[in-house]
Amino acid sequence: MIKFKINGQQFSANKGETILEVARANGIYIPTMCYLPKATPSASCRMCSIEVKGQDGFVLSCNTPPVEGIEVITDSDTLYKERQNIMKMYNVNHPLQCGVCDKSGECELQNKTLEFGVAEQNFSVRDQSRKKKKWGVHTYDPGLCILCEKCTVVCNETVGNEALFIKPGGYKSHIDINLANCIQCGECISVCPVGAMASTEFKYSSNAWELKQVPSSCSHCSSACSLNYEVKEGTVRRVTNEFEFSSLCGAGRFGFDFENRVLNKDADSFTDALDNFRSAKNVIFTSNITNEEAYLLNELKKKLGFNLVNDEARKFQEFMENFSSTANISQYNATLKDVSGSDFIVSVGCSIQSDNPMVKFAMSQAVKYNKAYVSTIHPIEETPIANVISQYIKNEVGSEEAALAMLADILVEDKSSQEEFFDSLDLGYLSGESNISEEELDVLKLKYVRVNKPVLVLGEDVINHPRSANIAAIAGYLQKNEIFKVLIVPTLTNTLGVSMICDLDKQQDGLSIGYNVKADYTLSAKGEGDLDMPALNQQEGTFVNIDKDLVVLNAAASYDGYELNDIANALGLKSENIIDYTSKLGFKDIAFDDLDNYYDNMGNAHRGYRVEAIKNRKRPKLEEVDDLAEYNGSVVYSRNPLSHFNVFTKDCKQLKDKPELIGSEQFAMAAKIKSGDNVRFSVDGVEFTRNFKLDRRMKGTVAYNPTFDVDAKSASYRYTQVKLEVINE
Amino acid sequence: MSKVYFSTWREEQINNVGKDEADWKESAYDLPAQYDEHSSSKAFIGWDGVALFDKDVDVVKLATEYAHQYQEYSEACGRCAPGRWGGRILYDLLDKIARGEGSMADMDHLKEVCKSMQLTSKCEIGKTVPNPLLDLMTQFEDTFLECINEQKPSKHYNEDVDYIAKITAPCMDACPAHVDIPAYIEGVRDLRLDDSLRATRQTMPLAHTCGRVCPHPCEDECRRTNLDSPISIMELKRLGADYETDHGLGFYHPGKGKKKPSIGKKVAVIGAGPAGLTTAYYLALDGVDVDVYEELPVLGGEVTVGVPEYRMPWAKYEKDIEAVKDLGVNFILNHKVTADEMRQFETDYDATMIASGTRISKKVRCDNERPEVKGYWGAIDFLDWINLYEKFDITTPKEVQEQQMLPSDHVDLTGKVVACVGGGFTSMDVVRCSVRAGAKRVIMLYRRDEKTIIRNTTYEEYHEAVEEGVEFIFHSAVARMNDENDVLKSLDVDKFELVPDPDGGRPQLVKIEGATENIEVDYLIPAVSQSAEFSHLPEEWDLEMTSWATLKTNGKDYMTSRKGIFAAGDCEYGPMTIVNAVGQAKRAASVISRYVQNGGEITLTDEEIMEDHLRKMKVYDKKEKITGWLAGVPRQKSEVLDVNIRKYNNDEVNFGFTQDQAISESERCMRCYYIAMVAK
Repeated sequence: MIKFKINGQQFSANKGETILEVARANGIYIPTMCYLPKATPSASCRMCSIEVKGQDGFVLSCNTPPVEGIEVITDSDTLYKERQNIMKMYNVNHPLQCGVCDKSGECELQNKTLEFGVAEQNFSVRDQSRKKKKWGVHTYDPGLCILCEKCTVVCNETVGNEALFIKPGGYKSHIDINLANCIQCGECISVCPVGAMASTEFKYSSNAWELKQVPSSCSHCSSACSLNYEVKEGTVRRVTNEFEFSSLCGAGRFGFDFENRVLNKDADSFTDALDNFRSAKNVIFTSNITNEEAYLLNELKKKLGFNLVNDEARKFQEFMENFSSTANISQYNATLKDVSGSDFIVSVGCSIQSDNPMVKFAMSQAVKYNKAYVSTIHPIEETPIANVISQYIKNEVGSEEAALAMLADILVEDKSSQEEFFDSLDLGYLSGESNISEEELDVLKLKYVRVNKPVLVLGEDVINHPRSANIAAIAGYLQKNEIFKVLIVPTLTNTLGVSMICDLDKQQDGLSIGYNVKADYTLSAKGEGDLDMPALNQQEGTFVNIDKDLVVLNAAASYDGYELNDIANALGLKSENIIDYTSKLGFKDIAFDDLDNYYDNMGNAHRGYRVEAIKNRKRPKLEEVDDLAEYNGSVVYSRNPLSHFNVFTKDCKQLKDKPELIGSEQFAMAAKIKSGDNVRFSVDGVEFTRNFKLDRRMKGTVAYNPTFDVDAKSASYRYTQVKLEVINE
Repeated sequence: MSKVYFSTWREEQINNVGKDEADWKESAYDLPAQYDEHSSSKAFIGWDGVALFDKDVDVVKLATEYAHQYQEYSEACGRCAPGRWGGRILYDLLDKIARGEGSMADMDHLKEVCKSMQLTSKCEIGKTVPNPLLDLMTQFEDTFLECINEQKPSKHYNEDVDYIAKITAPCMDACPAHVDIPAYIEGVRDLRLDDSLRATRQTMPLAHTCGRVCPHPCEDECRRTNLDSPISIMELKRLGADYETDHGLGFYHPGKGKKKPSIGKKVAVIGAGPAGLTTAYYLALDGVDVDVYEELPVLGGEVTVGVPEYRMPWAKYEKDIEAVKDLGVNFILNHKVTADEMRQFETDYDATMIASGTRISKKVRCDNERPEVKGYWGAIDFLDWINLYEKFDITTPKEVQEQQMLPSDHVDLTGKVVACVGGGFTSMDVVRCSVRAGAKRVIMLYRRDEKTIIRNTTYEEYHEAVEEGVEFIFHSAVARMNDENDVLKSLDVDKFELVPDPDGGRPQLVKIEGATENIEVDYLIPAVSQSAEFSHLPEEWDLEMTSWATLKTNGKDYMTSRKGIFAAGDCEYGPMTIVNAVGQAKRAASVISRYVQNGGEITLTDEEIMEDHLRKMKVYDKKEKITGWLAGVPRQKSEVLDVNIRKYNNDEVNFGFTQDQAISESERCMRCYYIAMVAK
């Protein structure tokens, strides 16, 4: 601890903390224009200069750690004067067009110009012609840019894509982009303090002060990131977030227009729905659902006796049961913060870029901030994120169990508790079949020697693997033996919550009701069924996210139709609002309205609460690794493009990715198809007709087939051997 | 000493205005009054003041142009509010005054902006550009006011004057390879390690190597030293190289990142050490076809066969070499060039670079120092066999085994006593390798004291050797080798003491009579110095040599006394550092590239001329008081392999910075860029 004074008051700083951080933590104001707490300081604005007693000149507070005994002064006449001069310079040639600028009303330049009383301009320089640029979801206006570098910093550090960069050149310097690297996440828009980096779509559509902010959680993937829906006249106009501390992907930021516009209650359909519930054999639903709705369905199941069907969540449930049997605790023990704080990450069975964008963000942060060694074991190399990955190990499709077993074999020192399992491993055979060489594992082992915070990330490929039970048990064993902290990426947004709340069954013959799944009788938040339901941005509730945090959803877009709670009440349950069930979910007895949903001054998230894990004392033996199935011919892999997750993102206006089959040259050649062909094939009973797109960056013989436009989430292994039929007309 | 008309350089106040030229007071500094052989300078203006060599200089225009060059050159900058806008305001206002449109308010605004830039800019360049401008505006206020009051252009406003500007920094100036250190540190700070490496590779292709084993003269001239302690400059260089290697993303070459297509010119390089590799790298970038001839079976020269694995892992150096190969350089191994071939090269190639190093160990000069005595083993040969075995599994041949009494096919010193005479890096390598080869006792005999050995190597190197159990005997020298039947048995070691000079001169080393000690040893390894071997040079060329028996050049263009034959590295300078070889070779490559394209003309670029001027003036000022930075932020130290492990293996000792350490260390860097400009 370093003791020092700020404005006469005594404080202490931890190792690595800067003067600015200590000041902020203690509520002392130091103005900044370029500082972004979640990234390293770019030190460009110089506004946070402070004085240190006894020393000449200013010291920058954002990137200087305090030294024992110093006395910091955060404000003085000279400081005020110089900060004012900086604001004057920022205003040189800054267009006076606030009236039509998106940022007006929430603009840092406006705020600080007023704060420092810059009423007139006595500096001037010859203006220059600067062209606006359109880069997809974002538009850049260099005339408004103050070159604070926040956008380049987040693009590089937070997202890890290194798309934006500074084109230096004195007064001419500006931001430029390597568009091929841009994933259209809009992080740059969120951090821009002025109107320079703006949302192409939102631009000129609303003033900041006309929008009502509804704090909520993103409903697209299991990260359930914190966001604000910004609403005008009952419609979500844009999404913003606490950009200083948290992030969003493109789907989260631009995929908000999925509400179900319903203006009145359709009483006839409602009665129909009740009848169907009374006689239903199955109720099928997906995990894009709140905990409360899932709880209601489970309660209705108890009351009415139908089968509650959600194969994907049931598969996850089984996976977690097997995992916890060897881990001796009900949950995996890593969070996204553990990933970003890690120095050694191995991922198995996860499509890092698209399955859960925050896992990818966290991985690249680990690389940027901790020089983490990232090894990905996957049949398809993700070349666009080569800057994140240190070692790519290509395994054969289907060999994930072998991969995990070999990983355990090379990293576990004391194998005594699972001696039989390790003795049974025929490493030569496994290596041959999985195509993972012992040399590759030796490199991995060598890198493992000096690491402090290793994390294993597991994805849907292993959860929905034919051998998932044993894979889960090996993973649990690795967690138990502290070889890794383990992060399992839940398949859908609230798979984790559903798996903990619901008692799930297999579907049986008979009348089926689908909740956001097409069935004999369909309740649909897409407005495509027999009775309308509110979408996830139209209701209150909670999710359990990848971090095992129960987080809050608030209703943003207006909705005047029936909700699941109305059906439940009509069928005999009694509750005024669905959120009355929040405290009854079986986690913590905290009412919905008492749940926190904010970030504190230091950027700590206070979002709901962490769901506690339960310990057990099972001692199961790991099974022998099964013989590997062969996948020959054309194989497709269920994987969505970066901006899409489900049928709700499908029709969002700003999410441009199309549902195409994407494969390498090798794939095209083997399948005898070419870019632009329409091909038909079927995966897990679903027939697809896709336009094939060649991606020259891809390698190998497996193609990506998106599933976001299919309502029911498959619980089958993500790789399928298919017969492709060209149907060009 | 320079003859000046006016100077405020480094706070001197010389004003010869109105005086007869014969009575001019001279500047105490070595200012670039003579620009090059052909032309003289009118003025020099820089971060620390301004000097006029000519009465007729248009000071208003000079100030304007300096501000303009700052704008031009702010490629290095433009990344903070005061620098970006302030710099432009300076230029616009000065130009307004210079063209006769200025007002008094402009003068006030100029002064205000100057002050803000001095106080709040991010880099020293922004903080110091105002210094000479304010000097001019104060000292020549009348001239400025004349332009304003009479609304007329300054006296030479519309004439063409040659202004040559150059960015520098104390560390860049001190680095023999003039690596753009603040840029590569900024790359680390920005967490853009690719940018960091590209910045390094502009003048230094061996980033892995000089990020690990450079004696870092830059750190001796780091301005941060004036405040607390220097930046750990060398270690920060390694990050970019490690990133490139770890992620296998190809090579980050400087500039456009690609080799130019072949321009149809060919250069032969003799020796694949740091100087040879560097010459090849920069010539290849320019599209010159290069053949590199190497006598050894392996590439890399002394860094490969001299520097041990635990300091410079081959796997990393190999990457530096692969970067050179990546540009299409052709290497011919196991080929000792002969004089006949050299003659032939003159017709086959457009130029030849000799970079054959110094590979003969000098004697310690004691009695009975006979090479045939078993156990007497020159450091270069000793390290060759250790490194060839450790790095390439090349075993020691029978005759060497026999001569040096080795029990097996590699250097195994189990149970042996080794004495090394030296004090430089090579001797450190010898003793630490001896520890790893199992010697039971390892002694370093050194004529001078601990402080000097640290100065000649590094604190870390010395400290780690002591930890590993090397005995240092200071103020000592071998007087005699004692043998039995040509097998070394012991050494007579004289002891010395420092006797102060009664006249106040340097203290003298005086032998202590009667203190001579007999030390039983199995090996004596002389590592005092090396000399060059030139049997491959045709005698009739009669190349001019230095008094050190190295090839003579003028130290600027690196051409020997024979046209088209160049020399760089140790064979030119004498045994020196890697970075020195790289620096020389980089310059030589630039000269050769123009030489082969411009019909054999030897030229230096303005950048290079300025580089030499600045080095002569010295950019670093150790007396300067630093403001605007908090003193006492600790220098980061990387973790090293535990002594009880490293003594027994050849694993890299230094783990390098963790990312946290690297970021903290990079944030200590004060970005001391300066801009200097000459008006011709």
